[in-house]
Amino acid sequence: MQGQAQQQAYDRGITIFSPDGRLYQVEYAREAVKRGTASIGVRTADGVVLAADKRSRSPLMEPSSVEKLHKADEHVGIASAGHVADARQLIDFARQRAQVNRLRYGEAIGIESLTKEVTDHIQQYTQVGGARPFGVALIVGGIENGEPRLFETDPSGTPYEWKALSVGANRADIRDYLEENYTEDADLEGGIGLALSALAEANEEGLEPEGVGLATIDVESERYTEHSADEIESYLTEHDVLASDDEDAE
Amino acid sequence: MRPPTSDFSGSDSPLDGSRSSVFGPELGEFPNNGQSSEPREGEMKTGTTTVGIKTEDGVVLATDMRASAGYMVASKDVQKVEEIHPTGALTIAGSVSAAQSLIRSLRAETRLYEARRGEEMSMTALSTLVGNFLRSGGFLIVSPILGGVDSDGSHVYSIDPAGGTTEEEYTVSGSGSQYALGVLEQDYDESLSLDEAKDVATRAIKSAVERDLASGNGINIAVVTEDGVDIERHKDINALL
Repeated sequence: MQGQAQQQAYDRGITIFSPDGRLYQVEYAREAVKRGTASIGVRTADGVVLAADKRSRSPLMEPSSVEKLHKADEHVGIASAGHVADARQLIDFARQRAQVNRLRYGEAIGIESLTKEVTDHIQQYTQVGGARPFGVALIVGGIENGEPRLFETDPSGTPYEWKALSVGANRADIRDYLEENYTEDADLEGGIGLALSALAEANEEGLEPEGVGLATIDVESERYTEHSADEIESYLTEHDVLASDDEDAE
Repeated sequence: MRPPTSDFSGSDSPLDGSRSSVFGPELGEFPNNGQSSEPREGEMKTGTTTVGIKTEDGVVLATDMRASAGYMVASKDVQKVEEIHPTGALTIAGSVSAAQSLIRSLRAETRLYEARRGEEMSMTALSTLVGNFLRSGGFLIVSPILGGVDSDGSHVYSIDPAGGTTEEEYTVSGSGSQYALGVLEQDYDESLSLDEAKDVATRAIKSAVERDLASGNGINIAVVTEDGVDIERHKDINALL
């Protein structure tokens, strides 16, 4: 009883350290991220690929209303996993910081700078009284000085840079797949292939074009591009991860 | 952004003095605190000559050394070009207090930017920032020239007191502008070497010093390359030629 009461004191309300140095609220927020569907980022020499599992719970839901991939600025895309409502707040914050940089310096913001603006904001919600941490992890990808960059933010407000990563459900499985199959010299098409195959790894029945989000930011145009369901279907066919027809017929 | 109101009362906005209703408040005029970008009566007009020249290998900025107060020489040894960035410098023409404050703020901003991002501000960023400072209500009465080098190469910007920034190959500012510009128009060429540009800049300043009452007492020459900012001080201009 005593131990239970003690633990309760450190995981309710405001975020304070437990005696063994943990922030329970932040750890619970990480659990919230795991409950979200997977998002994947892959960095290639030619650009960054963002892919997301956006299966809807019902065929009645409009696929376009599932928000997993977001354009933050011309040259930056953000994929999210976890609480959509929390993600929307962070993405709007990122969009504003990107424009503030343009106003202040007349230049597009760097991907590292933008990620750190966002993580500094997230961090405040682990320390300020009465606040709840963001139950969302983001993948921030884009082009900075002609180079593709790929970052992650987590509920603690720590920024990480990756060659390829996933956030959300099945993170460990997808990471294993990415670690096994990532190659440094892949081009953008190769990156798209890797991202979609990794996503399919966690979906045994294959992927539906409407249930997948795909965006790229390539070095040449330095522009965020979201791919249509038709384009996604041809990629899924190409990489042999399209859900088979008998699934549709059920 | 006021919500639309019904027009039955026939009253216009109470803040629109010319059409205020008889029942509205009586509005006076806002006092003029003299916060305009034009020099006030009795305030010193810009007495300075500064020039900026871009070359392939870097930028040359040159300034005279006189501070004037009307018809008096207020100081005979003033440095009117300052390093504001590891590879960027700004010349000063206009109000000394405004220029000093601007330079302090810019140095703070460039250092903060580098500390936060691990890289130096580009010249696009720096020129935008200077423009923003002048535009953002500080009413800084200065017309600086910004010269610097970044990964894209050399840049010279002419900046006006209201915050307008224009990138130039060569430019001038201050009361001796016309005399200096005459020299630059004749002698500037985009193929000038850094040493040749120093010579052209020196002659441009000399021309202004000879004919402009408010310019004189020597020359400061700043050479900005990718290696940094080097500022020379010469009390005798002729010794350089």
